[in-house]
Amino acid sequence: MAPADIGDRLRALPPGSAVGLKLDPREYADQYFAVLSAALRDVGSEPGTRTIYVAVTSPASFVWSLAQALDVPTDRISFVDAISHLMMHYQDPLPNATYVESPRALESIMLRVEYLLRRNPSPRSTVIIDSVNSLAIHNPSELLSEFLHILLNHLKSRQVLTLVLETTEEQAASVEQLLNLVVDETIDIARLGP
Amino acid sequence: MESPAPPARAPVPARPGDTGTVLERCITGIEGLDNILGGGIPRGSAVLVAGSVGTGKTTLSLEFLIRGAERGERSLFLSVTEASDKLVQNLSTFEFFRTDLVVDGSLVFVDLPVIYEKLGMLGAELSSEELDILLRTIRDLVRSLGVKRLVLDSLTSLGYRIRTDEQIREFVLRLGEEMNACGCTALLVSEITPTQGRYSTRGVEEAIVDGIILLWNARRRGDIHRVLQIIKMRGSAHSHAQYVIELTPIGLLMTPHLKGARSEGED
Repeated sequence: MAPADIGDRLRALPPGSAVGLKLDPREYADQYFAVLSAALRDVGSEPGTRTIYVAVTSPASFVWSLAQALDVPTDRISFVDAISHLMMHYQDPLPNATYVESPRALESIMLRVEYLLRRNPSPRSTVIIDSVNSLAIHNPSELLSEFLHILLNHLKSRQVLTLVLETTEEQAASVEQLLNLVVDETIDIARLGP
Repeated sequence: MESPAPPARAPVPARPGDTGTVLERCITGIEGLDNILGGGIPRGSAVLVAGSVGTGKTTLSLEFLIRGAERGERSLFLSVTEASDKLVQNLSTFEFFRTDLVVDGSLVFVDLPVIYEKLGMLGAELSSEELDILLRTIRDLVRSLGVKRLVLDSLTSLGYRIRTDEQIREFVLRLGEEMNACGCTALLVSEITPTQGRYSTRGVEEAIVDGIILLWNARRRGDIHRVLQIIKMRGSAHSHAQYVIELTPIGLLMTPHLKGARSEGED
């Protein structure tokens, strides 16, 4: 799979789409970087586009270092970091990040996304949730499904493209089921190309 | 002393489908709040904003006034405890606050202790006569300035100088009537403790006011959320759900309180 293939698929999505991006844990690093490249550089570099990255798996500082390697401009991306506090990794906060104390504070995550959408209004916004698996570690499925249902529907009503990262084989069947209920489609990254 | 029965107010459509007169709304300007109130607070209502320490009562009330002043509705903050100049300084944290609203008199801050002093009300307790004078002073201030939004922060602090339940009941009742007659929507801040089990210190205020907005800190697995709920709002088919709020530089934001797990201490 090449980032350009993923970028083409993402660009073809109608506004307000909610999409699951399925990553294979055996090729996680390559697939993750390809997805990041497609979402931040290909889709995120289009005029008027802004990206909000909800970091639950890795701290925003880590994702930001990858984004910098992809030459993503600072003013095009903001982070809702819900993991740094929990990991005691909060010494050097990013200026373009807002920090939520815990991945259990799901309402706070929703409110920070809303805050960033209002603070930086854009005709084309993308929200990346990384990842549903990490959220599932910290939250019971009942709560998580409620969170995804409310957040994704809200973002859809605002014509925001939402990408939810999921890692196959790691997740419980219930998580996959609930994700299928709230996304419009799922793209299996491994099946996109060579 | 028996308190008089509350006078009849303008007819209101209490529920969808009612055919009573549709009340004009005071659009709070706090988007989420207006949504759950069905478009705003019925104009001229007296609303208790009840909550324990640090739940956002004063911040919500200040935003209500600033948003009103922005809309051309003169707004008055009556501060019982905190000095007005300190409050104005704190407003700079709001990105939507403009100092010209204070300079041009759209947003007015008055320290109630200054009024006490001018009226010679220096005793520890206010007599019924003094309460009557205080009420008329507030009414005259509202009338003369053409105030459309009033915040009294806090009713609880004022209540410490009022001896009996009957007196505070009479004061709140008459304040509500006077503000209603002026078309002024009033938020009365009420400080309560989490375990109090009521919405005001004396427990009599909540029955008289037109509305109650309750704020509290809910805990879920060790994390604390600020939660808002409309307990009552006469003349409004409002939401009864709970909402988590955050106080941000762009104003109060709200989202539904997730119910997947109950908060500790809840029924």
